[in-house]
Amino acid sequence: MVEKPVDTEAAILESAVALLRERTFEDITYLDLAEAAAVSERTIYRRFPTRSHLLEALARWIESQQFPLPQIRTPEEFRAAVRERFRAYERAPGCAFVAARGASLSPTMESAPTPLARAVFAMLTTAAPTLNSRDTQRIAATAQYFASPIFWARMRTGFDMNADETFEAFDRAMSRAMAIVPQVSWAS
Amino acid sequence: MADASSAPELSPTQVAILTAYCELIEEVGTDDVSFRLIALRAGVGERTVFRYYPTRVDLLLATSAWIERTIFTRQESDSIFDVPIAIHEAMEAYDRRPELAHVVAETAMRGVNGSEPAPHRDRFDALLRAEVPSLSEPERRLLVAALCHLDSSATWVTMRREVGMHGRDIADAARWAAESQLDPIRAAS
Repeated sequence: MVEKPVDTEAAILESAVALLRERTFEDITYLDLAEAAAVSERTIYRRFPTRSHLLEALARWIESQQFPLPQIRTPEEFRAAVRERFRAYERAPGCAFVAARGASLSPTMESAPTPLARAVFAMLTTAAPTLNSRDTQRIAATAQYFASPIFWARMRTGFDMNADETFEAFDRAMSRAMAIVPQVSWAS
Repeated sequence: MADASSAPELSPTQVAILTAYCELIEEVGTDDVSFRLIALRAGVGERTVFRYYPTRVDLLLATSAWIERTIFTRQESDSIFDVPIAIHEAMEAYDRRPELAHVVAETAMRGVNGSEPAPHRDRFDALLRAEVPSLSEPERRLLVAALCHLDSSATWVTMRREVGMHGRDIADAARWAAESQLDPIRAAS
């Protein structure tokens, strides 16, 4: 294990985010990153042995720093948060595509449920405590998948949808999935 | 018979290259595979690989399309109401070849430089027009979008990675989600 001062990694990832405003992830070399972060190229290779490592860490960094998640306790809060996320993705599409790509990669480290997945699951168990565990898992998985940057990216490139249209597609899909818990209102 | 019409004719050399790259992805991942190693495995010269695929991105996109056509093939659904079953089967196929499922998912997320993000869009749209003619155009668009999203390897990837689900649970949840999208229009068909 190499020692891993967090700020070096943060500096590298921050530089990558800055470079993403002008070019795609493909066009950012380790040398560019080293120059922008004022570290040696070797340091970057030590932290991120392959570009997959870099992309995965960058996606996670972007999600937590650029698109932080607000408190989600109710379906209303979840809907509002997703609408805001899609709008934020639209304002920074370069970052959002990297988030979508990073979330699609074969994980290089042990992956646990993400903060969004956990929040959605907790929201659902609070809103519908009598729902059986299988249906809870199905709805939570559906919610997570339709709230993801992957959904935003697919709607944008495959369907030419803007953020609000993407939210509408999310909202429609979720209201159908939530139809099995009629006691919980999805959209008031 | 997944979009055979749009498939480019590949030479035996190209097939050898793509097959070799697929094998190497499953053995060592996408990043650590050099063109030299691919050439060696395919039994061709490195220059031949570069002639067909000048950049790594060219090779990756061709490989991703090849994987979809030859490994994750599926029977085209004859009815929109068969799509949930097809999705269930697709999830099981992704589960058998996880590394390849990740490659297909990632290349579809590259925006304009990536692969087709919604390959079944036109098919789903045609089926819905024929089977549920009462559906309005905006409704149909949202439903096609939801089904295209579910009918992709990214479903499998997200449920596994982000939610922490496995195998049968993923296939079940993806099929269930697709059914839930179709349920309201069953009566109208």
